[in-house]
Amino acid sequence: MLEMNPAPVLVEDMIALTQRLYHEARLLDAERFEDWLELLCDDVTYRMDLKRRRFRADRSPPAAVGAGVVFNENFARLKLRIDRLRSGYVWAEDPPNFVRRVISNVEIEPADAENEVIVHSVIVIHRNRIDGLARQFTAARTDRWRHGTKGWCLAARDIALDHAVLPDSNINVFF
Amino acid sequence: MDVSDLVDTTTGRQKRTIYSNEELYKQELERIFGRCWLFLVHTSQIPKAGDYFRTFMGEDDVIVIRQKDGSIKAFLNSCTHRGNRICRADRGNAKAFTCNYHGWSFAPDGSLAGVPLENEAYFGELDRSKLGLVQVTHVAEYKGLVFGCFDPDAPSLEDYLGDAKFFLDVWLDAMPGGTSLLGETQKMELGSNWKLPVENVCGDGYHLGWAHAGAMSAVQSMDLAGLSVGNSSTNLEGGLSVAGMNGHMALTSLDGVSGYAFYPEPKPMMDYLEANRPTAIERLGKVRGEQLWGSQINITIFPNLQFLPGLNWFRVYHPKGPGKLEQWTWAMVENDMPEEMQATILDNQCLTFGLAGLFDNDDGDNLAACTEQSRGWRTAQMDVFTNMALGRSGPRDGFPGDIAAGLVSEHNQRYFYRRWQEHMQAESWAEVPTYNINSLSVEEPENA
Repeated sequence: MLEMNPAPVLVEDMIALTQRLYHEARLLDAERFEDWLELLCDDVTYRMDLKRRRFRADRSPPAAVGAGVVFNENFARLKLRIDRLRSGYVWAEDPPNFVRRVISNVEIEPADAENEVIVHSVIVIHRNRIDGLARQFTAARTDRWRHGTKGWCLAARDIALDHAVLPDSNINVFF
Repeated sequence: MDVSDLVDTTTGRQKRTIYSNEELYKQELERIFGRCWLFLVHTSQIPKAGDYFRTFMGEDDVIVIRQKDGSIKAFLNSCTHRGNRICRADRGNAKAFTCNYHGWSFAPDGSLAGVPLENEAYFGELDRSKLGLVQVTHVAEYKGLVFGCFDPDAPSLEDYLGDAKFFLDVWLDAMPGGTSLLGETQKMELGSNWKLPVENVCGDGYHLGWAHAGAMSAVQSMDLAGLSVGNSSTNLEGGLSVAGMNGHMALTSLDGVSGYAFYPEPKPMMDYLEANRPTAIERLGKVRGEQLWGSQINITIFPNLQFLPGLNWFRVYHPKGPGKLEQWTWAMVENDMPEEMQATILDNQCLTFGLAGLFDNDDGDNLAACTEQSRGWRTAQMDVFTNMALGRSGPRDGFPGDIAAGLVSEHNQRYFYRRWQEHMQAESWAEVPTYNINSLSVEEPENA
């Protein structure tokens, strides 16, 4: 079914948010983590669930305590991850890897709160590790962006990674 | 291949070719993964009849299925007609498995239940009773852990585990409710030989303060093995490296709390330990109940199962060639733990030793590089060493095994390679030695 958009977002918001996504990607590519944190709301949630591969007809109930996550972070935990990367002891990132994010398939729709919007996008992260070793992560993102005094800030990001087996030895990158 | 010169446990030396040689790898599939008891599934993952879990034994794809009578069987995940994989899901519940290729259908007990056009195309001459799924020779459970074994001549699972049960029980049997694995499988591909992560976790306390210095400096509540950031100092008094138990190993602290004391908010964990300590002592005796239950412990069951009470992760490594493996991880809990504590453990496991684990993410590249640096024409001829604290081990009152003091030692790694060599040399199980060094001759009395 074609999804009808009852209250289309303004063109200027669309441009501003798309630019935010591109800007965010460029900050992360350049390891400008502290500048990236500036784009996040204090109450941000940043989450990637684990994948499950089931037959379509399978009705097994979900796990009681939870399926587990790849990560489920708040602002303090994102800062903790950045502290680790900034420690000077993360040998896998030194020399720095060549990292490039491609953001695409951006769609914007209204959210429940008046000052928020839902932003769908696709991210591809290319990493050139040692020598010719290149790895790629592909994921869909569903974001909630909130408009405040600093402009648009990221309030929530749910990341759906399209890999049943992680195709790399670490996730020392942000999505 | 003769491997007598590839490992020398008297000097702590291995030839690097053991991490890269294709022929040796094939021999490992036959003599280690084709012979040893391998972890398949935790009973908590397939509670009901028809529940199944897909896993690997070496490179053999296997489905483990809970039967109607509650028993567990395991089968090769391969159609007996043309060999196609019959199950492509990770787990679930099924009344039958139907092959995608020609529609042959197998019941959960492995029997061939249906063949399309059986009368028309096979003229009713097909003997379905001979074409059921191929069953894994032995399947047995030890306190929630289900193992499978291909070798008809293997010892019983209990004998295979030997004195490692002393340590296994600290996790599996301290509390009456037993244990569970939580959530989906966290799967990661590593460009590493399968022996390197096993070696790393079975005994290598040495790398913690250096390889994980970034994570340790960020997560300051995490004191690993009494080591300082940058490997600048260590305390050898706090732990034991235990080996000589049929190739299984344990690396353990002795304080009874270190497994949980590092949590940012440890109070609920400490309360749980304190409230249940008498139960643990009653079930395990004084030494284990007081000193081991609640401690950080690394347990290794040869060849590819490792789990760590305290950090509470549970892991198997599936080899995918000499230079590649899949690492499968879950969080593990005691069923008597309150649900909030279980949720905290799951969250912490994902944070520290999951796919994006602050600590786990330091290890992969090191192990991959050790693998690659065994593949060159020149490097393949070279040695690597596990000779730290050689000859400094012995018995210890109240514990089984050959024991070296401290968590920074290469004692356990030497026993791991010794076991590898013993299996690789042996033509059959009859030639594989059994040893439980310093076995506790008398069971520890209750409430000792």
